[in-house]
Amino acid sequence: MYLVQNLYEQHGKDLGLEIIAGRKGLSRRIQKAEVHRPGLSLAGFLKKFASARLLIFGRNEIDYLRQLDEKVRFERLQSILTPSTPAVIVTHFRPPKELLQICEGKSIPLFRAKSTATSLLSRITFLLLEEFSPGITLHGTLVELFGVGVLIQGESSVGKSEAALGLIERGHRFVSDDVVRLKKKENHLIGSGPELTRHLMEIRGIGIINVAHLYGAVCVRPDKQLDIVIKLEEWDDQHFYDRVGLDEKFIDILGSSVPYHVLPVKPGRDVVLLVETIALNHRLKDMGYNSAKEFNAKLLDTIAQKQRKRTIK
Amino acid sequence: MAVKLTCKVKVKNQLGLHTRPAAAIVKMLQPLKSSVYFTYKSETINARSIMSILMLAARKNSQIVVSVEGEDAEAAMRIMVRAFEEQFGEK
Repeated sequence: MYLVQNLYEQHGKDLGLEIIAGRKGLSRRIQKAEVHRPGLSLAGFLKKFASARLLIFGRNEIDYLRQLDEKVRFERLQSILTPSTPAVIVTHFRPPKELLQICEGKSIPLFRAKSTATSLLSRITFLLLEEFSPGITLHGTLVELFGVGVLIQGESSVGKSEAALGLIERGHRFVSDDVVRLKKKENHLIGSGPELTRHLMEIRGIGIINVAHLYGAVCVRPDKQLDIVIKLEEWDDQHFYDRVGLDEKFIDILGSSVPYHVLPVKPGRDVVLLVETIALNHRLKDMGYNSAKEFNAKLLDTIAQKQRKRTIK
Repeated sequence: MAVKLTCKVKVKNQLGLHTRPAAAIVKMLQPLKSSVYFTYKSETINARSIMSILMLAARKNSQIVVSVEGEDAEAAMRIMVRAFEEQFGEK
């Protein structure tokens, strides 16, 4: 649940918001990631008026209201300020006294902002969309290698944190250990760690360490787009692991399919190097070169050539 | 056979669910086979991970839903409930 108060506390300063009436209504809920400039609605056209939207009054709205008759002004405002209106923002113009009056009476927070209505509208829409985008919390460790966001998953004590530590040592970047929060933005999944345990890691036998302090600011970043998921697994002799890499596997996260690799671990297999290789190979594929497919094409070509020579003979 | 159990417990420790209780939980779960999850304020985490438990930052008197799934679920649940009750040996 996202309240007006949350928006005000988190972004009020950046947006230059100042509360001028209806303070009691700060606990109102913002139900939709939509912001509205009530142009036509102020003119009395209320068909399909979505009342749960945050309202922004800019210069046009204020000027229009000013030239209305006092009684009409009151009625029009009364009809668009409904119980589900989360809040009203007026850009740097003096709001009509009726607006102040109604907001105070109905406990609808009324803010004054310094910027223009258009820029405010796009900024708040962006913030709300971000807040309302679907999210999920996953168990795993998120790192960035060569610009590729890799989520390392696997059972407890399979060596996720150790692998991440090895990667950091090689100059890659660490995002979050154990808990990764993913948010869907457009078609991308952005992963980050919880504020409280940011840049912390737990290594068995050592305890909790702060990666940013130990290895420096260059080794960490607050968030990263997720590109691949690697699942570490104890080596199982019965299981047949991918030997050629022609078929690509994907995993569904919040409706996006993310390339998925199962990486078996056993003593003697350098997990850090293997994870690096998967990430590099992913980059190569992204650039349009698939080693396995390319080789297969070459092989098929060679076989076809031999076949032709034979028929000529 | 895998059994799934859920139970609501309350954090009784004065300082909430801080580092020592979190370490105690992970230690208690080590010999057990079941998967154990904690749900607090709509966030569900794996109770075998210290960082995840710490991330919850659950204060005193907060309600946590413990869900256990696996062959030794009943024993695991018993241990968890008792541990919360006894404040993880911290009084």
